[in-house]
Amino acid sequence: MIRFSNVSLVYPNSTTTVLENLNLEIAEGELVLVIGPTGSGKSSLLRLINGLVPHHTGGILAGEISVDGVSTREVKPGGLAHLIGIVGQNPINGFVADTVEEELAFAMEALNLPNETMRKRVEESLDLMSLAPLRSRSIATLSGGEQQRVAIASALVMHPKVLVLDEPTSALDPIAAEEVLSILHRLVHDLSITIVIAEHKLERVIDFADRIVHITGDGQTTIGSAQEIMKNSPIAPPIVHLARALGLEDAGLSVRDMRRRTQQLRDSTPLSHPRLIPVSTTAVIEVEKLSVAYGTKAALNSITTTIFDNEIVAVMGRNGAGKSSLLRSISGVNDIQTGGVKVHSLESKDLHSKVRRQTIGYIPQEPSDLLYAQSVAKECEQADKDNQVSPGTTHSVLAQLVPGISLHMHPRDLSEGQRLGLALSVVLSANPKVLILDEPTRGLDYEAKKSLTRILLEFASTFNRAVVIATHDVELVAELASRTIFLADGDIVADGPTIEVLLSSPAFAPQVAKVMSPQPWLRVRDVIDAIESKSR
Amino acid sequence: MKKIPLHPLTWWIWSFAIVISIARANTPVFALVSVGVVGLVVISQREDAPWAKSFNWSLKVAIWILMIRTFIGVTIGVPIPGRTLLTLPRVPLPDWMPGVRIGGAVTLERLSSALSEGVIICAIIVICGAAASLTSPHRLLRVLPIYVYEFGVAVVIATSVVPQLVTSVARIRQAQRLRGQNTKGFASYRRVAIPLLEESLARSLDLAAAMDSRGYGVSRKRSRYRPIRWSISDSAVVISGLLVMGLS
Repeated sequence: MIRFSNVSLVYPNSTTTVLENLNLEIAEGELVLVIGPTGSGKSSLLRLINGLVPHHTGGILAGEISVDGVSTREVKPGGLAHLIGIVGQNPINGFVADTVEEELAFAMEALNLPNETMRKRVEESLDLMSLAPLRSRSIATLSGGEQQRVAIASALVMHPKVLVLDEPTSALDPIAAEEVLSILHRLVHDLSITIVIAEHKLERVIDFADRIVHITGDGQTTIGSAQEIMKNSPIAPPIVHLARALGLEDAGLSVRDMRRRTQQLRDSTPLSHPRLIPVSTTAVIEVEKLSVAYGTKAALNSITTTIFDNEIVAVMGRNGAGKSSLLRSISGVNDIQTGGVKVHSLESKDLHSKVRRQTIGYIPQEPSDLLYAQSVAKECEQADKDNQVSPGTTHSVLAQLVPGISLHMHPRDLSEGQRLGLALSVVLSANPKVLILDEPTRGLDYEAKKSLTRILLEFASTFNRAVVIATHDVELVAELASRTIFLADGDIVADGPTIEVLLSSPAFAPQVAKVMSPQPWLRVRDVIDAIESKSR
Repeated sequence: MKKIPLHPLTWWIWSFAIVISIARANTPVFALVSVGVVGLVVISQREDAPWAKSFNWSLKVAIWILMIRTFIGVTIGVPIPGRTLLTLPRVPLPDWMPGVRIGGAVTLERLSSALSEGVIICAIIVICGAAASLTSPHRLLRVLPIYVYEFGVAVVIATSVVPQLVTSVARIRQAQRLRGQNTKGFASYRRVAIPLLEESLARSLDLAAAMDSRGYGVSRKRSRYRPIRWSISDSAVVISGLLVMGLS
């Protein structure tokens, strides 16, 4: 269906090759997963398939790419619209119409299809993606998961033979992600659509992949079955790390598979009780009867909670559960709240400039919102000046967090992980008493997540500080958080030690916990610790 | 009041009829009454959409124009004799500019003539704003002839990216307030403008790529999923506008 022969790609004004001599043939009805570190060229590979690269972006392409016998060299992306459906990283950026139905019809109208065909196909796709109840809703009012489904549906109306998706679940909560992925799985099996998908959170997709293309970063690629690639890939989901740590011969990719193989281990270990870390008694953040409403829609209903010193608190919940509202209120920028939030007994709404910087550090969903200077060096200088610390402090923090960033780079040209690192060092140079992060892991690869975990753990323990982090990433929560607050529809539905909260909800349990249930182990490290203490 | 589904051209034709009547009647009272009526229509009929705010914007712009225009009309130009309200200091002008003066006596007649002209111009601006806020630009685009469609990409980008930018500005300002930056004053605009510019560029490119890969512009002819029809209520609205125009 898709054939890459001797494909190499170089972008203009760049000295590195994105892809070098790639040969790949994808058969009909295959689901191919593209993995690699951020900035390694996953998106470029996807966009080569329908010719957006190089027709839209420029760049030099050598070799030949053909889809269903059509060469992308001769045909522009528009000419392949009936053959390839492409869903970008942020579907909201690609929407053109007001309502769901009109969005679905857009591509068919552009190709001048007759009205009866359009009617039939819109109905079909609405049913296929379970969107029928939302058909006349305005797109802007849909949740993230619903928008992702609309984007897929508006590609499916064209009856494409190939569907290309760039990180379709990165902004979704685990349940919405599950929904989207099971639909993709069904499309492959029922309609034999060929799917190419790029994703960082391998634990979500690896089970579905027929083959994996691993881009290693210097233009080289390895291609093979999930089993083959996972044998020695540095990028691997926790379940594969577990298999490696246990010395199993080949990597189990599904929870079911791994459970069978670890049956004996689970049964031979007496059921242990989770060790709970003692909590400090110094309250840092006091939230008192906090309510937030947008128009008539309530985002938070009278929430009361206290966060202590040296705690790392994860705030979880589905899209729209009120996580961001809670974080913004704690930071004191929600003007529409009732109730009070005190940080170190200061009303967080009344904080200004220097006192604010030294009390609350906040990393928004888009870390680049905080950055505005023309280079990394200027950004660091500005932070030094703002926080009245000795020149070079911010830069030394940055060098510790993410070594090897050139000072002359523009913040925009950094990778997602590096940009988050820069924003973090700007915030941390003021040494705030509380650090708040709103979904910092979007678009981060495993390596970047690992260093984020290390940084936050160090920050909390060295300075005895509280960290509050909103995230959809259960694996990160398992590694990082000592306590988890679970929000649903503006209410706190669970609040307790991470291990208790995560184990009590099957959808939000990390992979290792699913494999090892009923043993209370969340991380690979927990399993190894348990085995070691048993053999001692 | 119930919202009546109308053809996207209906409110535009109606508004143009009102605009022509205002110009023909040429009295500020009629202009003000028309703005009042149109305002009521907008409040009852507009949807909860980004473009619905264009009425409020045009109202603000019109008030600014009225103020600036009245100020200039009163201070610069040929004096109109009458009851003097106040006397401003006069700026001396060279001899070769006879008849023109800046400052001097402000008479009631001069003020009222400047005001009434201004009110008429501003009413026209506000009524165009009202038409824009009553009509979805996406739907309007669909009924326009095919050669206008060439501007389609630009219009779609403008109508979908611009409202998103309004929320982006709020978000960026909030983030920078959290960095402890002052969000007032001229310097703050630069700090907001840079991330905003980056974001809007990225968004526009994303949108253009999405439209391109969905076959936009491949076929010269476009079919319609939901054909937009002219109904009796459309005719009724248009006739009411034409009647006002005839009577003025």
